[in-house]
Amino acid sequence: MRNVLVTGGSRGLGLGIARRLTAAGYRVIAVARKESPQLTSAMEEAEGAHPGSLRFVACDLAEIDDLPALVTTVRKDVGPIYGLVNNAAVGFDGVLALMPTSQIAQLVRVNTLAPIVLTKYVVRAMLADGGGRIVNVASIVGFTGYRGLSVYGATKASLLGFTRSLAREVGGMGVTVNAVAPGFLDTEMTQGLDGAQREQIARRSALRRLPDIDDVASTVEFLLGDQAKSITGTVLTVDAGSTA
Amino acid sequence: MSVRASVLAQFERVAQEQKKTLAPLTDDLVLLESGLDSLCLAIIVAQLEDALGVDPFSAAEDAEFPVTLGDFIELYEHAAP
Ligand SMILES: NC(=O)c1ccc[n+]([C@@H]2O[C@H](COP(=O)([O-])OP(=O)(O)OC[C@H]3O[C@@H](n4cnc5c(N)ncnc54)[C@H](OP(=O)(O)O)[C@@H]3O)[C@@H](O)[C@H]2O)c1
Repeated sequence: MRNVLVTGGSRGLGLGIARRLTAAGYRVIAVARKESPQLTSAMEEAEGAHPGSLRFVACDLAEIDDLPALVTTVRKDVGPIYGLVNNAAVGFDGVLALMPTSQIAQLVRVNTLAPIVLTKYVVRAMLADGGGRIVNVASIVGFTGYRGLSVYGATKASLLGFTRSLAREVGGMGVTVNAVAPGFLDTEMTQGLDGAQREQIARRSALRRLPDIDDVASTVEFLLGDQAKSITGTVLTVDAGSTA
Repeated sequence: MSVRASVLAQFERVAQEQKKTLAPLTDDLVLLESGLDSLCLAIIVAQLEDALGVDPFSAAEDAEFPVTLGDFIELYEHAAP
């Protein structure tokens, strides 16, 4: 069984990715601060179909110094890590001029620093194992503008630059690195949007709707799979045509 | 196997796997002139972590990457597992 580490696998998109990958025959290690009730029931379901295919590991990714031990423990428990999906993020919004500096720092720590350092430890093992797959979950906000999301947008754009250069660095050793840029999805992260805002985003998109979690999860599954063996250093946008 | 022997064995192994020609492994050999590139060194660090249970480079205080093979071996000899 190929092992895939999915950060933020307890809720929202991360949980959708975890479900999809376990159904496809991967063993998923979901990382988040707490196990959510939705994850618990997904683990029970997965247990019936593919025993041991969905596991939870508690970790606060903002604690950067804990990341090396996280990778060591996971590798000890399940063996080599085939795939890493950097999905966990926080989505605080607010105008920059009023945003507390501590909140700015937390956004950068969780959304940029943590995935980069986690990737450092995972990719090292992938190089030694002779290959692997890394998928970074960015956002269309990494290349289009939304008021109130300047810091979040900066963190998501940072993952795009990270993806491209790392792909060049590790490609020769059989590791691919790609990003997925979702448009607005219905998750806890976007609960701040009211119905009218949501409708407006849907109306302005080419397909007149929002993408759903499974649209994005299946794109991640594709990038992890054998069909994507020649794709690296790129971004797949899944936004129902919002940015078309 | 001693720490020194484990380190040397990993250099040989990675050079072979990555099809690189390795310079003679003396203590004053400058790592970047060993015939291995920095990615190969990263693989060696990952494999030594598995073999010895230590990674002197993820200690909280930032360790400078050693220049010579002798410094590299010493770093591992002093890192308690
Ligand atoms: N929702 C959207 O519209 C949208 C659009 C484009 C891109 N995205 C991206 O999609 C990804 C997933 O977003 P989502 O909407 O699914 O978010 P979400 O519903 O808020 O879930 C976030 C996940 O990340 C985990 N997490 C947050 N902080 C963490 C920390 N410090 N340590 C460990 N885990 C942490 C959460 O678990 P705990 O709270 O238990 O730690 C949870 O599992 C993010 O990268 C986001 O930027 C989302």
